[in-house]
Amino acid sequence: MATVLTINGETKSFDAPPEMPLLWVLRDILGMTGTKFGCGIAQCGACTVHVDGKAVRSCVLPVSAVANRAITTIEHVGTTPSGAKVQKAWLDAEVIQCGYCQSGQIMSAAALLAATPNPDDSDIDAAMAGNICRCGTYVRIREAIKLAASGRQS
Amino acid sequence: MSKTMRILASLVVIAIVAVALGVWIIRGPGPLDFASGTKVALADYRAGKPTGVPASLEKASLVERGEYLAKAADCMVCHTKPGDKEYSGGLGFKLPFGTLYSTNITPDKDTGIGNYSDQDFLNAVQHGKRHDGARLYPAMPYTSYTFMTDEDVLAVKAYLFSLPAVAAKAPENTLSFPFNQRWAMMFWSAVFNPDTRFAPDASKSPEWNRGAYLAEALAHCGECHTPRNLGFALDNRKKFAGAITAGWHAFNISSDKATGLGNWRDEDLIAYLSLGHAPGHGSASGPMGEAVDHSFSQFAPEDIRGIVAYLRSVPPVPSPDLPAGTAPIAPASHKDGVTADARGKKVFASACASCHGWSGESPVSPMATLTGTWAVNDPAATNVAQIVLSGTKRHTPDSALSMPAFGNAYSDDEIAAVANYVTARFGAKGSKLTAKDVAELREQTAE
Repeated sequence: MATVLTINGETKSFDAPPEMPLLWVLRDILGMTGTKFGCGIAQCGACTVHVDGKAVRSCVLPVSAVANRAITTIEHVGTTPSGAKVQKAWLDAEVIQCGYCQSGQIMSAAALLAATPNPDDSDIDAAMAGNICRCGTYVRIREAIKLAASGRQS
Repeated sequence: MSKTMRILASLVVIAIVAVALGVWIIRGPGPLDFASGTKVALADYRAGKPTGVPASLEKASLVERGEYLAKAADCMVCHTKPGDKEYSGGLGFKLPFGTLYSTNITPDKDTGIGNYSDQDFLNAVQHGKRHDGARLYPAMPYTSYTFMTDEDVLAVKAYLFSLPAVAAKAPENTLSFPFNQRWAMMFWSAVFNPDTRFAPDASKSPEWNRGAYLAEALAHCGECHTPRNLGFALDNRKKFAGAITAGWHAFNISSDKATGLGNWRDEDLIAYLSLGHAPGHGSASGPMGEAVDHSFSQFAPEDIRGIVAYLRSVPPVPSPDLPAGTAPIAPASHKDGVTADARGKKVFASACASCHGWSGESPVSPMATLTGTWAVNDPAATNVAQIVLSGTKRHTPDSALSMPAFGNAYSDDEIAAVANYVTARFGAKGSKLTAKDVAELREQTAE
């Protein structure tokens, strides 16, 4: 039976077992490889996408749980106001080192700014603690989130 | 008779009376004694058919009927070690005095029950007596199965004998003295096994009687949900008032409004039993999750309704260890609400918040919502710690939602901290777990 999801504003129809994680659907069935596979158990944040605007880990999320809900991925987050600000700030602050975790970092940061436009350090901790960066770019991530929030971008 | 003899004889009589009285007091009422209507023999009950299979399976083969009943009795979960062949035994039950292993009940002649005659099988299931005459430990709930009709027990046997024989010998039990003295179970059984078949209550509806048969004889709800007495048998004075079993808190399922099922709607109970989730009441996990996956989810709808009707009639017994109701939703921002444990908050932020949310209402799925569950409202935090340690996986018809196990990723100290944070933030009263408590919980789960 075909599963129908709304991803980045478009309706996508495909065949997948109901328990298949959303991440597998995105990457393996729909070819949207911007969202990364990291740990597979919702502990590293690399697979973060938005469901109804909230940051969730797609690697443990069965497709059956997200029918009729709006899914946004890294490919599209730049079209949202907070996503655009975050991506710009990421470039300005030159956050990225190897880059593998950064799709997830940007998705979490964009969801944070959409809900909390002026986050303090504790808000950033609470929202970003689940996104791990092997290169240790945490200091620049924090800086870029504050930059995006301030609107003082170049 | 001399004076001394008379005194001695009196003392002996007093001692015998005292022991008998003590045993009688400890034993207490039977599981169905709360229903005070007239009990009639099954053969004389004409209003309905409380035993056997649902109407849709009435014409099915003996093996098919046995399969339904074996699932209703949930034989498989205890008689299967995860990863091994179904019904081949070997699951270890960790008790304070050693480990007890479930047996192979496939029809293998050497290591299973292939040599069991019908009478042997009835002896085991209804009387707790093995093929070789040895006594079973009551981890095998024969004090519940004893209420099954011979016909239903033998249908289960026919089903088990239709399965492929698996050669698998369960490890030796490691019980310490005096618990390794199997023969002593003879006395336990004489006192605590009602050793009687189900007798319908003529004053109750056919639906209630079907539910009573399913809940008591087959599903053996009380084995986890009823507290135990001094003799480790069920204390039916506190029927369904909740207990700790295999390291998990089986919550109060009496009709108590504050801490039991009294405030659950029928549809919530039906959903919880058949799908493992009821909105606002959380999801079944641990042993209850297994019971839903392998047993209740396979029940015919009318059988689920029967169990609900029966549960409704069980007298309310409050759980003094629980708050009088579950806490409302927590604030949406991490800054508001209790921050009892900064370390716990840190673990929650990195490992839990993305699925469970800061309010307790999951952004992912209602099945992952913490608000309203007894687990987070239990000041002992038993099930919170357990699910963090071992994770969960729900199999429902249209969805499978899982939570990873964190037992190997976090220390006992961190798990205690996050459990204390979770119960304080989402529950009515925060827990005070220590690393030692978590270490003890690790020891108790069956594997």
